[in-house]
Amino acid sequence: MLEIKSLSKHFGGVKALDMLNLSIHEGEIFGIIGPNGSGKSTLVNVVCGVFPPTKGDVVFSGKTVIGCPAHERLSSGIARTFQNIRLFPGLTVWQNLWVARNSIEDIKSESRVSRWLGKNSKVKKEIDEILEFSSLAERADELASSLAFGEQRRLELARATATKPRLLLLDEPAAGMNQDEIRDLDSRIRQLQKKGTTIILVEHVMELVMGVTDRIAVLNFGSKIAEGTPDDIQKNEAVQEAYLGYTEED
Amino acid sequence: MEDFWYEFIEIIQTIGDGLLFGSTYALIGIGFTLIFGAMGKLNMSYAAAAIAGAYSGLAAFVLIDAPLFLVFLISSFASAVLGYLLYLCCFRFIPSSNHLAALMASVGGLFLIDELIVHATQGSPLTFPSIFEDSYFEIGPFGIRGDLLFVFLIGLVSTGILLYVLFRTRLGLATRAVAQQDVAARLCGIGVHKTNSMTFAIAGLLGGIAGAMTAAAVGVLSPVMTVPLTIKGLIVTVIGGLGSIPGAIIAGLFVGGFENVFLYVRGIDERDMYVVALLFIFLVFRPNGLFSKTITRD
Repeated sequence: MLEIKSLSKHFGGVKALDMLNLSIHEGEIFGIIGPNGSGKSTLVNVVCGVFPPTKGDVVFSGKTVIGCPAHERLSSGIARTFQNIRLFPGLTVWQNLWVARNSIEDIKSESRVSRWLGKNSKVKKEIDEILEFSSLAERADELASSLAFGEQRRLELARATATKPRLLLLDEPAAGMNQDEIRDLDSRIRQLQKKGTTIILVEHVMELVMGVTDRIAVLNFGSKIAEGTPDDIQKNEAVQEAYLGYTEED
Repeated sequence: MEDFWYEFIEIIQTIGDGLLFGSTYALIGIGFTLIFGAMGKLNMSYAAAAIAGAYSGLAAFVLIDAPLFLVFLISSFASAVLGYLLYLCCFRFIPSSNHLAALMASVGGLFLIDELIVHATQGSPLTFPSIFEDSYFEIGPFGIRGDLLFVFLIGLVSTGILLYVLFRTRLGLATRAVAQQDVAARLCGIGVHKTNSMTFAIAGLLGGIAGAMTAAAVGVLSPVMTVPLTIKGLIVTVIGGLGSIPGAIIAGLFVGGFENVFLYVRGIDERDMYVVALLFIFLVFRPNGLFSKTITRD
């Protein structure tokens, strides 16, 4: 579903991504791990169109997305959440979802005026469902900035799902979460997968990555050093070396 | 005692007139603030576009004898189109990190429009149709001028419509989403350039109305109005707090009342001096304005 081909991204002399190849299949949960500065967030940003790659190609459902501006990638079905939360602080929870939901292709067929005015009962129903799913229904009319941290994280995820993505990139969604919240996130990710969303999970919290993903790629200095099932990765020596600086045999 | 009472009535009357006229400043301030909120940049040519819009309305009045309603409508739309063109010329293609370039480009826009008006009108002031000039409402010892009341009501209605659009429609929410968090807005499928164009056009609509309101209240339209209106607009925006719409409304009315008091006490020669001194005082003691609100963009 998503093919990353010889992707490179250089910032000045720093090679944040270096000839990276990845292939993500439809319907799977794909984990991306790696030490700090290994290029994980850069990869997410390039796939979402925050900045263009230096070299290489990103192919989504058979079509390249390079050169396509970020807001149009969304209508082709790629959505993401942010490592540092980026909600619209001055809009209510409901409005945050509404703005995201109203941006996508399938309601562009309506007249412009009704789109601008936002009169659409179908959309309202969908947003209420998403709120229910994210356990945010009671806070619908509160400003996003007034939510607690965990709720803001849930709203980020909800806002991304409101755009009905086929591919969802989660950039460190568990950062700063406690055990309960991580378990909660785990089950939400699984439910999203059941609904048919393909998920790329970039994460440091191993408990979450090892439990929820189908396959994992490990990045180090912008290159892939290992790929496989969670079990393979845990036994892989190159991975242990990258993370811990030595292998068990030393 | 008699004199004091008379003075008191006069001052209150002056403040009241000023508040009514201040609604034009409020609209101009809202326009500046809207654009600043969306882009984090000042559009210096905004008030000039507003006056140019009023000239278009006046042209319609002179050439086809348009009714007053149409004069306001044409002013408003002409200013909106001009606002969009200025966005294309001064903001669209300038890298968003280069604030100075966009600022200077829009200053260029201000003087270009100013010069065009001077050349088109030979630099002489033109009479603008005044409305309800003769009507006068008396409330106890006070009186309300019909034209000022009319200007105030138009300002009130325009602001009401704007607030509805901004807070209740998708278009307005998209605009505010871009202002609050532009990276996330793009990744939620909101085209930043499209939203910015809309913001400039909406601000232009308001500006055109404000331009026509000013001209209708003063009774003339002259190219020398552009720079003072720009300065008043900026003062209102700063006092209201950059990016704050309620701030711009209240600061607009406040500046209107304030300058009218000084007009009464010190005369037209010194009036603007005190308004600029007010800006100075605010910059020193309350640099973030009356209701400052932080706009985060990174």
